[in-house]
Amino acid sequence: MIVKSVIVRPELCVGCMQCMIRCAEAHSQSKVLAAAISEAVLAKPRIHIGVGPELKPFPNKCRHCEPAPCQEACMPGAIRGDILEGHKIVDPTRCIHCGMCSMACPYYVIRYYPDHAAPGGRSMAVKCDACFERQAQGQVPACVEACKTEALTFGDVNVSMKQGTNRLAMAVWGVNA
Amino acid sequence: MSKKNFKEETIRPEVERLLEKAWEDGVETVWDRKRAQEPHCGFCELGLSCHICVMGPCRIDPFKNGPQRGVCGADADVVVARNFGRFIAAGAASHSDHGRDLAELLLAVGQGLTKDYQVRDQAKLKRLAGELGVDAPGLDTAGLARAVAEVLLADYSSTKQQLAFMSRVPAKRLELWRKLSVVPRGIDREVVEMMHRTHMGVDNEAVSLLLHAARVSLSDGWGGSMIGTEISDVIFGTPTPRSSKINLAVLQEDQVNILVHGHNPIVSEMVAWAVRQPDMIAKAQAVGAKGLNLAGLCCTGNEILMRQGVPMAGNHLMTELAIVTGAVELIVVDYQCIMPSLVQVGACYHTKIVTTSPKAHFAGATHLEFDPQNAKQQALTVVGLAIEAYKSRNPDKVEIPGKPVELLSGFSNEAVLAALGGSLTPLIEAIKAGQIRGAVGVVGCNNPRVKHDHGHVNLTKELIKRDILVLDTGCAAAAHGMSGLKTLAAADLAGPGLSAVCKALGVPPVLHVGSCVDNTRIVHLCALLANSLGVDISDLPVAAAAMEWYSEKAAAIGLYAVASGIFTVLGVAPPILGSKAVTEMAVSGLEDVFGATFAVEADPFKAADLIDARIKVKRQALGLTP
Repeated sequence: MIVKSVIVRPELCVGCMQCMIRCAEAHSQSKVLAAAISEAVLAKPRIHIGVGPELKPFPNKCRHCEPAPCQEACMPGAIRGDILEGHKIVDPTRCIHCGMCSMACPYYVIRYYPDHAAPGGRSMAVKCDACFERQAQGQVPACVEACKTEALTFGDVNVSMKQGTNRLAMAVWGVNA
Repeated sequence: MSKKNFKEETIRPEVERLLEKAWEDGVETVWDRKRAQEPHCGFCELGLSCHICVMGPCRIDPFKNGPQRGVCGADADVVVARNFGRFIAAGAASHSDHGRDLAELLLAVGQGLTKDYQVRDQAKLKRLAGELGVDAPGLDTAGLARAVAEVLLADYSSTKQQLAFMSRVPAKRLELWRKLSVVPRGIDREVVEMMHRTHMGVDNEAVSLLLHAARVSLSDGWGGSMIGTEISDVIFGTPTPRSSKINLAVLQEDQVNILVHGHNPIVSEMVAWAVRQPDMIAKAQAVGAKGLNLAGLCCTGNEILMRQGVPMAGNHLMTELAIVTGAVELIVVDYQCIMPSLVQVGACYHTKIVTTSPKAHFAGATHLEFDPQNAKQQALTVVGLAIEAYKSRNPDKVEIPGKPVELLSGFSNEAVLAALGGSLTPLIEAIKAGQIRGAVGVVGCNNPRVKHDHGHVNLTKELIKRDILVLDTGCAAAAHGMSGLKTLAAADLAGPGLSAVCKALGVPPVLHVGSCVDNTRIVHLCALLANSLGVDISDLPVAAAAMEWYSEKAAAIGLYAVASGIFTVLGVAPPILGSKAVTEMAVSGLEDVFGATFAVEADPFKAADLIDARIKVKRQALGLTP
């Protein structure tokens, strides 16, 4: 099976943060923006825009590493690889908010927030889950859907890299593809 | 604010110290919030997001990977031009509605409906009545006030072909505006028409939208704002040169400190009256204070500094920090540029925020509405609230860093003429001789995206060094004041020509002409100069700059300056860069239309070079030395 991923091209990001809004919406209870913003436990985005030199934006999210340092550091086994193939997803019922995963993560993509999915809405590790519920319904991840500049796309990494190689080949000859 | 970067945010050590204190006290400031918003929305920054209708909202992708048209079909040029048109309309509306409040007050004065306000400058009222063609034999002050108010209030309507102050516009300029169909007809009309044109499916051509934006801005600069300036002078007195002090250190540790903030002198003048009342001073002493201390912030601060010599505490980015000193009992505001956060910052200390305008309510503030009948009584109530708040001041929280800086203010056009001996001839001779190579209005706001006061102060220092006279208003004026550029001694920082003129006339090289509505004094002075020389404003060796602007009002000012023929440098790009056509029009195309353009340059030293080059070209075209 081909595992599809969110592919990030930071040079195309305009820093609109629409991916963040739609990520939060997708992880809310209602999954409707206007309602999501007034829920008791507010959903949090799992993709974040970093600020680079001259305020250049950088979209940062979980790479779903294999092997994953976060998974290896997770004592209660809350970070699971068996929910969606090729992805590391936090099980809200197992997470104990110990902080080990975020310390182990080399990309600074794991944060802690109260979440409606956790028992009692308690605080848990919040990170990208590749929108596995949306994927099950045939949708692409919410951040990708929100992105208007193709800084975030969804597909087979190897296909994307092939396209990138062709872009580079064109660029070598001065053609902007 | 996180405890880093304080030096990167401001040129002022005392502001730096208060940012540190804000951090120590756990107070969030405008810089914190700016950082939390970064990176700002790229679509919005480029003017490429449109929320005019609910088929959208839409965004146009500047990288051309995503949509190139909104749902309605508008492309980047139309989206940007519509957004910019509304931006200008909002700015013009703000100044003009401020002017309307003054026109209505003058009418109330004329109708005898207020005892709290009078005509302080009867000569100017008479002069205006003559200029507007409504002076008639036998009219007393009240009659003149009614007549002037009525004719200017009519400028807000749709009943005229052109605004009253078109009589001030040089003939060549007015003719140009006629050809372009941009002569402003009615102030409200032009704003309303912009809202109409930018509704979905009306004006869908960028050039047409931009020309109307120019017309809207002219209805502000030669209409609403000009009415604001002129009537403020009539009611509260035309400014004359006076000295005062500026900086946060004008706050007094042992007194009840009251700040006025906002724009319209209708409120601040009454508070200035109230703090002088002996029984209020006695009440302040009864709670243990040495007295009552009033200071200004932002443009209403400029208004009472110009007319009353009331000290100023600082500019836009310092309004929260004034509270952080822990020494401010109360801030009384009217409207425009008042950060909603003041209520939250005030709640961290003992500072009361009092709102006064029916148009401007702030959740969590105390609302005491001012009208022409109750103004003095309300002002006394405000002062009473401040005295009451003094009892809650925590002396451990008080820290007022820095020292007050001396400054000279009050340079209305009338005052400039008086300083020149009653005629513009000495100024024109100095310009012809190259002693004064040109004049620049360095105006506008602060913006946390620009290092506080860095743009204003460095540009102005560069300009005066090159024998270019600087006129200033708004937050730029406060910046120059705090940097000591409005003193007679500052003449030593000017080039030899300008320095000699300043010393001969006893004026600083940077003349304070007022608040942001008072930019009309600058365009009016340009018109007077152009008329004296028989040329157009665009022929003069003049320019304008807004290095740290942030507001819609500032954009309207910039556009009326350019449409009046004045080259204008912006330190921050307006949200138009998403459209190549609109951007090219702004920075080059307008030259062929109005004889002036915008330039965008964040570096004040490079901005000075741009202005200098412009002045050289204009001087040479007039047959003068560069």
